Amino acid sequence: MTMTQDRTDGLAAPPGGAQPVVLATYGLTKSFGDTLAVDHLDLTVRRGDVFGFLGPNGAGKTTTIRMIVGLIYPTSGYATVIDHQVPRDKIEALRHIGGFVEVPAFYGNMSARRNLRLMGGLNSEVDEQRVAEVLDIVGLSERADSKVGDYSHGMKQRLGIANALINSPELIILDEPTSGLDPQGMKDVRELVRELGKDGTTVFLSSHLLHEVEQVCNRAVIINKGRVVIEGPVSELHPQHSSVKLLTSDQGKARDVVAALAGAQQVTIDEGYLVVEASDGTVREMVAELVAAGVGVDAVIPAREQGLEDFFLGLTQSSDVDAGGAAGVAGGAR
Amino acid sequence: MKLLRRELTKLFAQKRSYVGWGGLLAVPLLITLAFYLNRNNHHHDNGPGGVISLAFHNGLLMPLASVAMLSAFLLPLLASMVGAYQLAGESETGTIKTWLMHSITRGGVLASKWGVAVIYVIIGLALVFVGGLAAGALAFGLHAQPLLSGQTVGVTHWLGLSLVAYLYVLVGVICVLSLALLFATVTNSSLSAAIGALVVFIVMNILGAFSYFDFLKPYLFTSHLDAWQSLLSQPVAWHPIVTGLITFAIYIAALMAAAWFLFRRKDILV
Repeated sequence: MTMTQDRTDGLAAPPGGAQPVVLATYGLTKSFGDTLAVDHLDLTVRRGDVFGFLGPNGAGKTTTIRMIVGLIYPTSGYATVIDHQVPRDKIEALRHIGGFVEVPAFYGNMSARRNLRLMGGLNSEVDEQRVAEVLDIVGLSERADSKVGDYSHGMKQRLGIANALINSPELIILDEPTSGLDPQGMKDVRELVRELGKDGTTVFLSSHLLHEVEQVCNRAVIINKGRVVIEGPVSELHPQHSSVKLLTSDQGKARDVVAALAGAQQVTIDEGYLVVEASDGTVREMVAELVAAGVGVDAVIPAREQGLEDFFLGLTQSSDVDAGGAAGVAGGAR
Repeated sequence: MKLLRRELTKLFAQKRSYVGWGGLLAVPLLITLAFYLNRNNHHHDNGPGGVISLAFHNGLLMPLASVAMLSAFLLPLLASMVGAYQLAGESETGTIKTWLMHSITRGGVLASKWGVAVIYVIIGLALVFVGGLAAGALAFGLHAQPLLSGQTVGVTHWLGLSLVAYLYVLVGVICVLSLALLFATVTNSSLSAAIGALVVFIVMNILGAFSYFDFLKPYLFTSHLDAWQSLLSQPVAWHPIVTGLITFAIYIAALMAAAWFLFRRKDILV
């Protein structure tokens, strides 16, 4: 019955870019006076992507979203939504977008139901049933007739998502949808976003939490100071190596054997354990080599992966110092 | 139309709308009450002269007496508040960005905001008219009444004149409202926009009050606000009315064109 339920392709489709582009930005730039908030940003989001738009606070995420939805005008560059160019054809583009920027704002003196009817009808005809449906999806059915002014922050956030869904748009833009929510609320919202992705709706999710993006998104871009730092499938944003701790019959000999392997990047001995930073998939080879060299392997323990948050911080901080250098690092992941 | 209907929904959902209308309605009721309580005292020296004193014994004149009092301050005040609130009020609550994220044009949004503010003033004036007439009829009855030029005309003729006068005042007040809406496109505070419009209104009134600035007078819309009183003579002196309407129309067109120009590409940062 709804657009989102009709499209069951999306994530199930083979990766590799067969899906059409739903949202793209081309050299999108915004300066406020002397401050460059967004600096020649190029993004491509394809149908069915749950696209993570990551960056520390103040990176230019919200400014970018405001330009995409036509709330502010780019200093240069433009965005396209489906085939419509923003800002030139933003009226057409906005017909395909649902979402919110920063905190979702509603008319506090009206009920949630009335707010949805009022706003939803701006883009297309919306009947009572659809209003009830989206309220149900976000779990607000019971409070649908309370004034939004009496809502908690989390409920307003849910209502924002309901309002984003109401016209069954092709593209849903959610600006930090879990900010200010309690853990249960965060979990619910993330689950909801994941469900949307499974239905084939394209979601553009801004966040400053890397693990959130990792949980719900298939692709992501990290921006800082208005520029792309790294972009790609979420699995590739991951640091490409992990570390293991080894306990063997002869740690000294083991160290020499492991260090000679191509995949091992760093080998140290820590508290009696041999700590190896190695590319994914080299553990098996490492153990085989050790056994072949006559070293008995007593234990292989996965050590703490390099924290994604640390990785994220590393990327965004290095770009603080030299954005050009960080972009160079990002080049490898593209 | 879709937008205007939604703006009306919002207008009627706000308590503040009713407070303003209540304030307007209170004026004719209070004037009638004051006149009624004072009906045996012919040395009423505390009220303004002109049409207002004519209303002393005739309920028929109560609508005109009320609007004469209101157009000096309360009506411009409410018009600037409603004009300012339509746009800047939504900036204050952040709802403007939710609203503008839909498939609607900025021009359409501005036009619907202007339209709903005009409707607000029309409803307010209708309340004053009906409230004044009803209270006046109850207190003093409705009688034939001489015009300012001396000829006595009947009840329907007076009502017709009053209606035309109200329409004239409405157009004049729309100038204030448009001014407030213009200011609301440049500030995100409805109070600032409303006060800005009132300051301009008051400054224009002051300029109009000094004979030194007489050369400015025809160009100030405030100088034309009372011109409806020329309706109350026979034959009617249409010239001041027409001049007034043309002046108002030019102001409204210029103010709204400026508002559209500023709002069209405004960066919504709330």
